[in-house]
Amino acid sequence: MQFRHEQLPNGLDIVAEVSEAAHSASLGFFVKTGARDEYDAISGASHFLEHMVFKGTDTLSAEDINLRFDFMGASANAFTSEEDTVYYAAVLPEKQHDALELLSAMMRPALREDDFVTEKQVILEEIKMYDDQPPFGADDRCRALFFQDHPLARSVLGSTSSIEALKVEAMREYHQHRYSSNNLVLAASGAVDFESLVKSTQQLCGEWKPSPPTNRKAQFSTTQSGIVTDVITREQAALEYAVRMSPGPAEDTNDRFAAKLLAVVLGDDSGSRLYWDLVDSGKAEHAACHHHDFLDAGVFVTQLSCEPETTHALLDRIVEIYQEAENGLSNNEVDQARNKLLSRVVLAGERPRQRLFSLGLEWAHLGRYRSVSDDLATLDKISREDLHRILAEWHLPASSATVLAGPLLNDSPST
Amino acid sequence: MKQTLQTATLDNGIILLGEFLPGVESVSVSFHVAAGSLCDSLASQETGRSCCGLATLAGELMLRGAGDRDSKQLVAALDNAGVQWSQSVSMSHGSFAGAMVSRQLSDSLKIYADILRRPLLDQQQFEPARQVVLQNLAGTEDDPTHRTMLALRRAHYPSPWGLPSEGTSADVTELSHTDVKKFVNTFIQPQDMIISVAGRLDWPEFVKQIKALFSDWQGQPPNPISVGKRGEKICHVPYDSQQTHIALAWDVPPYRDPDSLQATAALAVLGGGSSSRLFTEVREKRGLCYSVSAGYQTQRDFATAMAYSGTTADRAQETLDVMLHEIAALPGTITEDELDRVKARAKSGLVMQQESTAARAGAMARQWFHLGRIRTLAEDLKRLDELSVESIENWLAKNPLKEITTVSLGRDPLEVPDAVSP
Repeated sequence: MQFRHEQLPNGLDIVAEVSEAAHSASLGFFVKTGARDEYDAISGASHFLEHMVFKGTDTLSAEDINLRFDFMGASANAFTSEEDTVYYAAVLPEKQHDALELLSAMMRPALREDDFVTEKQVILEEIKMYDDQPPFGADDRCRALFFQDHPLARSVLGSTSSIEALKVEAMREYHQHRYSSNNLVLAASGAVDFESLVKSTQQLCGEWKPSPPTNRKAQFSTTQSGIVTDVITREQAALEYAVRMSPGPAEDTNDRFAAKLLAVVLGDDSGSRLYWDLVDSGKAEHAACHHHDFLDAGVFVTQLSCEPETTHALLDRIVEIYQEAENGLSNNEVDQARNKLLSRVVLAGERPRQRLFSLGLEWAHLGRYRSVSDDLATLDKISREDLHRILAEWHLPASSATVLAGPLLNDSPST
Repeated sequence: MKQTLQTATLDNGIILLGEFLPGVESVSVSFHVAAGSLCDSLASQETGRSCCGLATLAGELMLRGAGDRDSKQLVAALDNAGVQWSQSVSMSHGSFAGAMVSRQLSDSLKIYADILRRPLLDQQQFEPARQVVLQNLAGTEDDPTHRTMLALRRAHYPSPWGLPSEGTSADVTELSHTDVKKFVNTFIQPQDMIISVAGRLDWPEFVKQIKALFSDWQGQPPNPISVGKRGEKICHVPYDSQQTHIALAWDVPPYRDPDSLQATAALAVLGGGSSSRLFTEVREKRGLCYSVSAGYQTQRDFATAMAYSGTTADRAQETLDVMLHEIAALPGTITEDELDRVKARAKSGLVMQQESTAARAGAMARQWFHLGRIRTLAEDLKRLDELSVESIENWLAKNPLKEITTVSLGRDPLEVPDAVSP
């Protein structure tokens, strides 16, 4: 695998990880914008805009875009998160140019009023769909409580009222501001012809205009989040769903990999401390811990689903498990977690579509490249003491936000 | 693209399938035992009570210790070898799979041989295993889409195919440790078991090791399953949700039928990809929903086309009407352009499958189960190339759609027309 990078005069970065053994090429535009870049009046605009990008340009209709992706046999999609909006397509290598031509055209959408009105209905359906599904909004609510007035508190989908109130003019302005050439990264992985990619990108995107860089980071101090809880009552739910957040290392720190390894030891889907105590025993349907990192903050997220009447006792037990971990982890469990992660990195490295996201997000956030070998070497170097240090520094049992969703009422007593 | 496909059959009926994939470091192996949830009904006949969920509970208990390892040691051994392991139960098979760096294959095969041949089935582990299955069942209660598809299966498939593979809470609560031991002794056996492996592979060495681990294992395949009754053609599940979920099913030829390619291509025109008719008409033009699609589910002897959408209650009737209209309008209207797009998407899918050892191992096993052979990529691509609009239209003309099973889940039932007409 070979890493390549070029920057166009307008600031658009082009990065690629070229693999001769691959059968396909994946391409994606990584836009450095998401829910955290919104304000109240445009809450949900990044995600809504992601839908509108598929509705056409001045010369292409929505149908044209769908037809062209399907004619090239592309596996194409997009997603929006708190910090990123990503548009991607996986194609056979001979379709590289076609995919780039279409994706780059889409980055300059027409944002027509009538399309906006129709697509608004689809967004409102998506909000309702998630509201009917576990964890019934507990994740969004928990993030809002945990991050409070920090930009990461914002919901990606927005609310029914914010979407209903959104005007197409506000979206056009947001697009103009956020989709400038220097705020996008074009990433490619797999059987990529890099010279041709750069040449085509210059022709297709060379006229895009840059804008003055903005500072997206905000102050997040961990003392800002006290212990807060909330309950969303869904009487007909069979299980109770809990989401708990506590602070962890941010992405620009050296501890990000150690935090991920620690989360595997504590709360991986199998073989972890939470798994053996709560899931293997049949006490909970699901109990897991993950570490998420952002530009300026990090968070350990604990998820639990279980019979409603056991929820409070099991949440207490999770805190105990985290306290027990602070008393020391064994070499065996750390090595077992490390072996799992090493294998995941190697296997994901074989799929261009999976590598695309690592490559694009790493560059969009930190402006650097990490190879599969870099990740393996970093994981190998993490010691048990590193995990103990993270446990001591971030103290998972304390300072958290917790939201329950399910049959429990707000005043349900602890058991 | 030069392809290296291998097959071998052991005297006890185990089928080995292999493909060397160049350019990868990993290998994936999967074991498919003919002990799927359909065997629940054979156990029900024998015990005289319904045993829906027995295959799933057996799979759960088999992973809780095997050979000389207890439950924790077994998971530690797989994790330490970097095996990304999984276990699942479908109607036809109980499956165990693992993806790993290729040098770990030999050690992991020994662990899988223990799981299949020497599971501890520890009495102490029985109750926790049952609780895990019950917890998972409670979790699916909260997933409206899953519930809709379960209701569709119950309504459309003949019994026992329509029963949920994951079981029912009522039956799982009544199952005993003895039931599980009997199930494993009877149905976990080598006849018709498929072992599929893809990736960085030394085939002769693999066959040698599998023979050493499995060739002295004997057993009898399960008795044929008798086909029972189907459910109601129209069914509504009352559920207090913002969205109403709509699922439709109708009969199409199974994968091994020569006409299945015509049927799946017609289905792809209808509901595969973002330029498909359902996506265009229901979501893009009318904004009625977030998700709408059509797909194909095949058993060995019959298959089903399924279409799904989820939408707000007051727009559900319009959504159902548009879906039924598009299904009825398909015959006589498929264009060359539509078929070209179906072909392009299918071709990409086939080629990209070669990049995932796990996807490839699973696909080979499925193809063997349905056809008794594996087709090469070149053969699959040639079949696609030869597919014409005329052949699809001929098939549609000879096989007019007579009956659609309609299931809805939500606040209010929907009006379903008596006949399907464009």
